[in-house]
Amino acid sequence: MSSAPTTNPSVTLRGLTKRFGGTTVVDHLDLDIESGEFFSLLGPSGCGKTTTLRMIAGFSDPTEGTILVGGEDVTSTPPHKRDVNTVFQSYALFEHLDVRRNVGFGLRRKGVDRSSIDKRVAEMLELVELGDRAKDKPSRLSGGQRQRVALARALINQPKVLLLDEPLAALDLKLRRAMQAELKSIQREVGITFLFVTHDQDEALSMSDRVAIMCDGVVEQCGTPEDVYERPTSVFAAGFIGTSNLMNGLWSDGCVSVSPTVSIPAPGHQGSADGDPVSVTVRPEKIWLTEHTPGMFRLPGTIVETSYHGATTQYVVSVGPDLTLTVLEQNLPRMRAEDRWSPGDRVEAGWLPEHTVVLR
Amino acid sequence: MARRVERKPVVAVGVTIVFFAWLYLPILAVALFSLNDKKSLSSFSGFSLRWYDDLVHNEALLDSLVASLQVAAAATLGSLVLGTMLALGLERIRGRRGNLIGAVTLLPLVTPEIVTGVAALLLFTGIGLKLSLTTVVLAEITFSIAYVTVIVRGRLAGIALEVEEAARDLGCTPFQAVRLVILPMLLPALLGAGLLVFALVFDDFVLAFFTTGVDPQPLPVRVYSSIRFGVSPAINAIGTLMLLASALLIVAALVLPRLLGRGTSSLDLITGGRR
Ligand SMILES: Nc1ncnc2c1ncn2[C@@H]1O[C@H](COP(=O)(O)OP(=O)(O)O)[C@@H](O)[C@H]1O
Ligand SMILES: [Mg+2]
Repeated sequence: MSSAPTTNPSVTLRGLTKRFGGTTVVDHLDLDIESGEFFSLLGPSGCGKTTTLRMIAGFSDPTEGTILVGGEDVTSTPPHKRDVNTVFQSYALFEHLDVRRNVGFGLRRKGVDRSSIDKRVAEMLELVELGDRAKDKPSRLSGGQRQRVALARALINQPKVLLLDEPLAALDLKLRRAMQAELKSIQREVGITFLFVTHDQDEALSMSDRVAIMCDGVVEQCGTPEDVYERPTSVFAAGFIGTSNLMNGLWSDGCVSVSPTVSIPAPGHQGSADGDPVSVTVRPEKIWLTEHTPGMFRLPGTIVETSYHGATTQYVVSVGPDLTLTVLEQNLPRMRAEDRWSPGDRVEAGWLPEHTVVLR
Repeated sequence: MARRVERKPVVAVGVTIVFFAWLYLPILAVALFSLNDKKSLSSFSGFSLRWYDDLVHNEALLDSLVASLQVAAAATLGSLVLGTMLALGLERIRGRRGNLIGAVTLLPLVTPEIVTGVAALLLFTGIGLKLSLTTVVLAEITFSIAYVTVIVRGRLAGIALEVEEAARDLGCTPFQAVRLVILPMLLPALLGAGLLVFALVFDDFVLAFFTTGVDPQPLPVRVYSSIRFGVSPAINAIGTLMLLASALLIVAALVLPRLLGRGTSSLDLITGGRR
């Protein structure tokens, strides 16, 4: 699936390109982000996410292309005149000002009168649960609290779009999970478009309305979290999110032959001619080792590895020479330890044909 | 079983005592003899403040004192402005080019002052500038920029670019970002650098000697030339006063920025930034 047609665009990128010297860091990016959306840019480190955000914020000039914010071309507008605010990865708080003044900074610049600033700052601090720290200097706050100040300082200006550059990356895992939920609920409450940059796939999937998967300056796929997870359209997208059981083979007669003995049917796939090289993938949790249903495609195999992950158990099943599948099974309440498979056990791996995804 | 005995580091303590004695005894002697009631510089015969009284009535020395204060103030102001601008500029130049330029700005710290002095003298006479307190100020600024730049860059390190961008993101023009955010954040560092430069320039002899005109001369130069016509204990008096003033300034330069707020002060340059 590609991006949905835009009805109420918040950010529109057309052919956005950035080169540093000879290297192209962002390569003809086209994106339409809708008003009120929680949109994530997901990609490995160095793929050009920060560079893209910096161009939208106005800190870096595009080599080519246009940037529209709220339908208005801002490509050559300086940052202070763009209706865009940023939550920086380092938070970039003003250490010489207390929390209250940090948060009210943008409104003061806009010339909002003192009493409305005080009122809105108080509301905003309430929203991020920092009502009691208004008079503290940032140096007295914890990492999570500094992060909230940075968020409040940007949000209070009610920008057309809020840019967040890996805002949770510096927090420890537990705090990060809590902040993910909180960030999402704040976004729902204020209704402002969030353009969220992350290299953490779980984060992107669980928080976003839509996700764009970026690789080497190019958007590989853009869609809802379900789209990009269940129906990856490129080898990179399939491999970057989750475990993918990627197998290479040749297309022939509605099936992908991935080895002389294994041919996987892919009824839904169109557009390949017999003999075309294709890749095929099936998500580990879609594969069943027991309780097969009639329509399933089945492959006999042998367990080669069992690893217990608490909520799930992961098996590696050998289904042919040099061909293994990773299978993820829920550890359901009725299951006991002795119900788990052990290496050497003969099994049958089965999945529904619609869970076979063919990538060209 | 061998028992490890904690031995007192006798030698180290001894060397340290000798070192400090060597360093400070002559200075103590100056302070002591400034309080002598006779003109002798070898025997202390009684306590008196007569040389301080002498000093207060010595017009030439007082003029020089004022001249030195003016030079120090002007050089401090000039080097603060230029050094800060340089530091802000260097922050924007990344990579090898930035490192190279950064290293070049540090050269005045290691260049022998006498070389800087001779070079400045040659330059000023070469372009036909009449030697005066102004030329002293110019030379001292050249010398002091490096101190300011080092201290300010230490404070800027890493944070400045994103903080400046945050300011612009929140509605500041580039100029407002510097005025409303960068400079206030730099304040402790600027105060420290200013005090340090003031103290260094105030009693600097070498540069002043090469680049000053005839009248009035900066205090160190005046003291030096008056010694050639016989040492008066009044020199001891002024030396003691200068020592006290400089010590006070240096202590202030180290301590004030710390009291004002966290961040790099000149003390961090000495202690390696440990907090
Ligand atoms: N100012 C710059 N000059 C040269 N190269 C840069 C500059 N900024 C970023 N890059 C390069 O662009 C690439 C993408 O960087 P970035 O956008 O920060 O990636 P991400 O945020 O996805 O990790 C990196 O290889 C980085 O080295
Ligand atoms: Mg980045």
